[in-house]
Amino acid sequence: MSVLERNNVKVAGAGARAMVFAHGFGCDQNMWRLVAPAFEDAFKTIMFDHVGAGSSDLSAYDPDKYGRLQGYADDLIAIGRELGLRDAVFVGHSVSAMIGVLASLSDPSMFSDLILVGPSPRYINDGAYIGGFDASDIDELLEALSDNHLGWSAMMAPIIMGNPDRPELGGELINSFCRTDPVIAKDFARVTFTSDNRADLARVTARTLILQCRDDAIAPETVGEYVRNNIPGSELIILDATGHCPNLSAPKDVIAAIRAFV
Amino acid sequence: MSETSERGGDDPGEEFEDLFNNAPCGYLSVLPDGRVARANARFATWSGFGQDAVVGRKLHELLSVATRIFFETNLSPLLRMQGFVDEVAMDFVTLSGPKMQCLVNAAERRDDAGNLLSTRFAIFLAAERRQYERALVDSKAAMERAAAAERENSELREQFIAILGHDLRNPLASISSGVRLLAQRETVSAKGQQILSLMQGSVMRASELVDNVLDFARGRLGGGITLARDANVPLTPVLEQVVAELRSIAPTRDIRSEFAIEEPVDCDRVRIGQLISNLLGNAITHGAPAWPILVQAYTHDEALVIVVANGGSPIDGPTMARLFQPFFRGDVRPKHVGLGLGLHIASEIAKAHGGTLTATSDAEVTRFTFVMPLRKTQAS
Repeated sequence: MSVLERNNVKVAGAGARAMVFAHGFGCDQNMWRLVAPAFEDAFKTIMFDHVGAGSSDLSAYDPDKYGRLQGYADDLIAIGRELGLRDAVFVGHSVSAMIGVLASLSDPSMFSDLILVGPSPRYINDGAYIGGFDASDIDELLEALSDNHLGWSAMMAPIIMGNPDRPELGGELINSFCRTDPVIAKDFARVTFTSDNRADLARVTARTLILQCRDDAIAPETVGEYVRNNIPGSELIILDATGHCPNLSAPKDVIAAIRAFV
Repeated sequence: MSETSERGGDDPGEEFEDLFNNAPCGYLSVLPDGRVARANARFATWSGFGQDAVVGRKLHELLSVATRIFFETNLSPLLRMQGFVDEVAMDFVTLSGPKMQCLVNAAERRDDAGNLLSTRFAIFLAAERRQYERALVDSKAAMERAAAAERENSELREQFIAILGHDLRNPLASISSGVRLLAQRETVSAKGQQILSLMQGSVMRASELVDNVLDFARGRLGGGITLARDANVPLTPVLEQVVAELRSIAPTRDIRSEFAIEEPVDCDRVRIGQLISNLLGNAITHGAPAWPILVQAYTHDEALVIVVANGGSPIDGPTMARLFQPFFRGDVRPKHVGLGLGLHIASEIAKAHGGTLTATSDAEVTRFTFVMPLRKTQAS
């Protein structure tokens, strides 16, 4: 299976330059459905699912490879090489912000611009560094994931049903957005929330924009400032939006910020 | 409808405000900026914070850390995309300390343009249900671990059998050629010749057992029975040789054969030989010595038919039902040595050829019938 099939890569848009959108933990490329189309007139837009999420090839999952964020970064590079990307724009949400950083360190020619949405180089507090969580919080999260994957497990076929509240969804599969394999999701949560990429930030050479929400329970503003202070020449914009997913809650603001930067 | 009936008849306890506040579930409405706009008294009591303290608070301050992360990374995107989530497990914090384990349905309220106005949460206490579900997940994990360990064990065991069987073949072949050399080239007394012939029979029987075990182990290991089909070579000589070998093993038995194979048969001749050898071995072991054993092989109506029939006591119902299962032995009288693999392997060979092996048994005769299509069919 090709990497494009493995990662369910979707290419759209007409531009000469490419813009790659990467989703974070907990969702899939649907995360970008309100943002990516806005760039189709000027860019070739590329969306994909990390292995284990959405419609990726679950059989490609290798616990060793994906036990480190570098494994996901290697996939991103493989997709970029397959599509012949050079000097492209990378837009990564949440943990994919760091995956993009790692990819750009491995192959600096692939992305000229990095746009990091709600990035965190380390979620767990460490001395003076405030990541926002204690190690025990993350252990509790890993435990708790099982509670919600009961009904969401890959074993259960998604149910097709009408949704009277959102008729525009029609017969779309309920909970088909952001479907993840429960076992892989747990691994992904572990690697996401226990990674420490602080030392990688200083080596970034791409132009970098950091987008941060005003009230993000996952990546506090101080973490955004930390990333800005450590990636040379980077710029930080605080969006007037709350939560961890401005790509869904404030897509217009995200689009405007990206457009102004590129 | 009059105003009073809308408000719950004449009972002042059934007014909307009371229905909201004292509903048997918690109820929160949360604004797009994450602040709680309204909370019912039930939720306020459960959490211990009091209604005034809950309203205006950030939703994520009411959630346990794990739920907060899960909500932000998984539930919140799903809510934005499909407008609701049902039956999700969430933990709320309480004033007194212990987490409040709940199941929650949530739905967004949007304006005509699709902008989010608020998100409403119906919250049900579900400590016992959650505990039960956690136990279910734990026991599933334990079961999977046990099954994996068992699979590994049984694979090892079968590999061991396969290797042992394979290694046994060589010394058996040496004994067999030694016996042949002694019988043909050396001067041996008549008594000695008789012993050598018995030995040859025993060696052959041992080789067959090894072959059956190997086939079985291979089948279990996923290799299945593989066929080397060839329609161009005649089958009859192979069958004749098998019958001759078994006659030499059981010289006291009357084994009659009738072969009429008039069309080419697209089969693996060695395998068909093994099948007929297993059936004959079975007839020799279980048939009454006083009755002849009849072996027939013929082509008829686009099919190859092989019948092995013997006299003796009929096979009873329970035995018949399990006849082709591995390691099944109808009776375990001392003379009936063997692993109980012969008929199982024979039936596997039949299946591999797209054919069937069936048995009938009554007071007069026990008959095994193998039927296979002359040519390979799509299904096989």
